[in-house]
Amino acid sequence: MIRLNKARLKATMKAYLFLAPFLVVFIGLIVYPIGLGVRLSLYGQRGARMWYVGLDNYKRILSDSMFWESFRIPLFLLLIQVPLMLLLATIIALFYETRKNGGPLYRFIYYLPYTIPGIVSGIVWSYIFSDSMSPLLPFLELFGRTGVKFLTRSNVPGILLIIILWQFTGYTAFLVYSALIAIPKEYSEAAQLDGAGLWQIALRIKLPLLKGPLFTLFIFNAIGAMQVFNEPWMLGNLVVLPLNYTPAMYIYNSAFSQGRFTYAAAMGIILAVITCGFSWYILRSAGRQILERRH
Amino acid sequence: MRLNKRFYVVITIVLVLLAAYFIFPFYWLAIGTTKNVSQLFQKSLLPGRPSHLRSNMSGVFSYQNGVFLSWMLNSFLYATVGAFVGVFIAALAGYAFRRYDFIGKRLLFVLIIAFAMVPGFATTLPLFMMFRDLSLIDTRLAVLLPSFVNIFGVYMMVSYWNQIEEEVFDAASIDGANDLIAFWKIGLPNVIPGFITLFLMAFVSIWNNFFLPLVVVNSRARMPLILGITTITDPQGFPVYNLTLTASFFTILPLLILFVSLQRYFKPQIYMR
Repeated sequence: MIRLNKARLKATMKAYLFLAPFLVVFIGLIVYPIGLGVRLSLYGQRGARMWYVGLDNYKRILSDSMFWESFRIPLFLLLIQVPLMLLLATIIALFYETRKNGGPLYRFIYYLPYTIPGIVSGIVWSYIFSDSMSPLLPFLELFGRTGVKFLTRSNVPGILLIIILWQFTGYTAFLVYSALIAIPKEYSEAAQLDGAGLWQIALRIKLPLLKGPLFTLFIFNAIGAMQVFNEPWMLGNLVVLPLNYTPAMYIYNSAFSQGRFTYAAAMGIILAVITCGFSWYILRSAGRQILERRH
Repeated sequence: MRLNKRFYVVITIVLVLLAAYFIFPFYWLAIGTTKNVSQLFQKSLLPGRPSHLRSNMSGVFSYQNGVFLSWMLNSFLYATVGAFVGVFIAALAGYAFRRYDFIGKRLLFVLIIAFAMVPGFATTLPLFMMFRDLSLIDTRLAVLLPSFVNIFGVYMMVSYWNQIEEEVFDAASIDGANDLIAFWKIGLPNVIPGFITLFLMAFVSIWNNFFLPLVVVNSRARMPLILGITTITDPQGFPVYNLTLTASFFTILPLLILFVSLQRYFKPQIYMR
């Protein structure tokens, strides 16, 4: 028994030697900053002067309509863009299956936008919709519609939808397709023998088996939607958008244009709590899966 | 799978239309690099004639005494060093989880994954305060350091290491190899494909990371491309569309080359930070 413990102690020492570099950067650059963020959020601030105020910042945020209004865009993305994208991606993945080898060329082309940073897609798409450069305007003029303005503030959510769908649909379709081909062929073959049509196989057999992956994708995209920043930030160069257009923009602007760091830190904590709520499910299953092999 | 002919044709049309949507901005960006501002304002879908590609390129590279080249070098520095160090540290950590049954293993793993769920936004602002106190603001280290933490890398590394049979390590210890040598000589070569995949993913995500440098870097000489290109203006502060487009094109070109040439290493998976 004692010897066993000795071995375990030795293994523990060795393990922490290998873990040391990671633990140093992890604690220094993730754990400590989060702790610092929590501490800052409890302070009032004017210029360089700071003083403890307890939960005052949080109380003020609860009644700060600017903060809650900033969730309009994330909610729009969560309720419209994400479901639309998952639907499109599933249809595309089913279409891939009708091609030889899953249509590698289509998969490649559809995936490409995902490799492009949000800032560059923001630049290119905002130019494509701009009054001065839009290649779409000559087409509208063909149909006698002159003086159309795409880039107005009320159109920005629609344009965001087009940009974000462009960026992530191909990637998502790729993931759904990977889940599809993991489904044993026998399932659909058996159904076919029973006389099931293509639609029936897709709806009754494949879709139910995609539930898990689709749900995980929904969660990840929900997290992304809560944090959207780059695309509206770039569009903001061509259309005037309010400081609080998205939560992340409001946090950034509060800290760096208005200098309200502690207030911004508190908003950051609230946003983090909201996103962590979404990821709770994934956290649970991820931890379980990966360590099981060793026990 | 069998399909009737008409249905097959309909699917093809849909797939081609979607391909047009996905490819169009790339096309427009590419032809945009051949146009000067007045050609851009003509809104044509054809390349600029005469082509201004050369003058746009020299415009980009000579902009502000060649600051574009510094952006490019910075991006390569941040992405290469950050990705390599981050993945290497993750490989070491993953190895510990694979090889040893140590005290606090489960708790530590769950803690690490839990912190991975905290969004970057919540850490970047306190990081800014912390770096300010350490006088690291506006240094290259401020961009590099955060990329050394690759939690997703640890998570993936554990599963890569898990795929290696126990016997491989047993054989090594019978040969009298100590743990470090076993890691270096026997372990690491076995996870090289996973290492490369993680390196590429980290490379791309650092190359594309806008928010961190936006917060921690002020002087243009230390900006990465992704931040630099958003600051291109004429001396009066107005945007210069043709230069911004050309600079954007050269920002994504390395990514496209990487992706096309190393496609087999880009295994899309459900991505955690």
